[in-house]
Amino acid sequence: MNRRQMALEVASILVNHISPAPSQSVLEKVAAELILLAEKELSAGDRPSSQRLAVLTVLGKNHPGIVHAFSEILAEQNVDIVDINQTILHGNFAMIMIVDPSGAKVDFPSLKSLLKERGGREEVGVFLQYEDLMRELNRI
Amino acid sequence: MSYTKREVLEVIKMTEVEHFDVRTVTMGITLLDCADEDPKAAARKVYEKLTRYGASLPGTVSEVADSLGIRVANRRLAVTPVSLIATRPEPRSYVTIAKEIDRAAGEMGFDYVGGFSALVESGFTRADEALIAAIPETLTVTSRMCSSLNVGTTRVGLNMDAVLKTAALIKETAFMTRERGSIGCAKFVVFTNAVDNNPFIAGAFHGVGNPEVMINVGLSGPGVVLDAIRQRGPCDLRELSEVIKKASYKVTRVGEIVGREVAKRLGIPFGIVDISLAPTPELGDSVGEVLMAMGIERPGAPGTTAALALLTDAVKKGGTMATSAVGGLSGAFIPVSEDGAMISAAHEGILTLEKLEAMTAVCSVGLDMVAVPGDTPEDILAGFLADELSIGIINAKTTAVRVIPVHGKKAGEIVSFGGLLGDAPVQELKLFSPSGFVSRGGQVPPPITSLRN
Repeated sequence: MNRRQMALEVASILVNHISPAPSQSVLEKVAAELILLAEKELSAGDRPSSQRLAVLTVLGKNHPGIVHAFSEILAEQNVDIVDINQTILHGNFAMIMIVDPSGAKVDFPSLKSLLKERGGREEVGVFLQYEDLMRELNRI
Repeated sequence: MSYTKREVLEVIKMTEVEHFDVRTVTMGITLLDCADEDPKAAARKVYEKLTRYGASLPGTVSEVADSLGIRVANRRLAVTPVSLIATRPEPRSYVTIAKEIDRAAGEMGFDYVGGFSALVESGFTRADEALIAAIPETLTVTSRMCSSLNVGTTRVGLNMDAVLKTAALIKETAFMTRERGSIGCAKFVVFTNAVDNNPFIAGAFHGVGNPEVMINVGLSGPGVVLDAIRQRGPCDLRELSEVIKKASYKVTRVGEIVGREVAKRLGIPFGIVDISLAPTPELGDSVGEVLMAMGIERPGAPGTTAALALLTDAVKKGGTMATSAVGGLSGAFIPVSEDGAMISAAHEGILTLEKLEAMTAVCSVGLDMVAVPGDTPEDILAGFLADELSIGIINAKTTAVRVIPVHGKKAGEIVSFGGLLGDAPVQELKLFSPSGFVSRGGQVPPPITSLRN
């Protein structure tokens, strides 16, 4: 269902409770206003928090088990991995994960310190941040 | 993958390697409604209002910064020029209010509050006179309260009587805080064409045309620009300008995101981003080093003014695109004591006060954090201020002076303030008197360029 259909649906539910039933043109008008409202809500930079993704970057010397170390924590904390990219260049390990922290068992700062603490043990640099900077600094 | 590896790593490099931080998130709060005939009652209202609005700022800023993965160096407050809080117009009234502001700021964890200020470009009200008389004591008995005066504008000219008073109060403040390197003077700045949404200390105040409360952001960023220039290597000046513009876009964008998010979480309006490059004493975070990377051997060398003009222009062009509202000072900051490359150039006599003055004619916002000998006579100090302030008036721009006549120090010595304020080499002033001119007093009429309508 697209946004317009959704708005029409909502509008008709509303007007079903109103009698006498309004004309099709009134229905359209109400739907148009609802669409406008929905678009305002969903405008760029103001996405619902449930869709706010974060970027986890791990940098350091490669050794077995790094990916496991961090995906384990994410799994334990119910953080969904949306995307993952990992490369090794001259023995240096770089992993970038796009994660969805909205369903996490802990809040964002705690998740960050859990990952950082693990990073300390694995001797790699760990950075967790919402995707805002990546989006806004690289794309106009 | 929604972002390329290069994009992600560039952001990490910017925040982790290039010293990028947002220099300050400043909350402006109006105190006009704290008026009371009884200064103690007015001070109580001020304390109550500041703590009501300001208490949640430091925590919110930290949360936002942490979630975005960047650092915000300072959280600060700016208030309505205190001379406008209607109360009994006596110096001690304003000292009482300043002490309460200082106490509130301390309890909430702010290091500085701007706004012990008066706007006297065309003359003094009784309240202005009382506040000005209270400035030296206020800067001595408080540690967080910062003060400023606006003594001229392009529209009305320069109030020379205010310049004379300013020279006197700077000397008095230097003497009263002589035990600590005359540090009181580092918390005072004199302006022409002062802006009322400047987020930077010591000149911040919350202008009367502003809303009840608002968030303004000041950037840092010399490190990011420096790195971009070094990475680009040899190129012509047009290309150099492009490189700086792109770096400035990124720096400003971060400020915009932080400001917007903080304002949203606190439910108050977002004001402006000040696109000045503000240096810190940290290595690699210096405007002087940027000039050197552009090809000037040392700051102060011939060519410095030209390079600074190109730099600031490119910073503005890049920054303007990145934010919905540019404001504040938005020029180059050259606080001598806070900028590593400037400190050493000034100490070695390469960067003179005269050269710094020339730089303010193109883009710098003033003579900031310069130290002069403690025995500099008042009339010479007044002439020094009048020179700098006239540049602002004629060029329809903000200029400011933050000068420290360091008690007991001579030219060539160094005074150390510590922290962000850094180390200032005491610089030489020519000891020939302008007294016959400045002590005439009165108003220097506005320039012909003030007739814009």
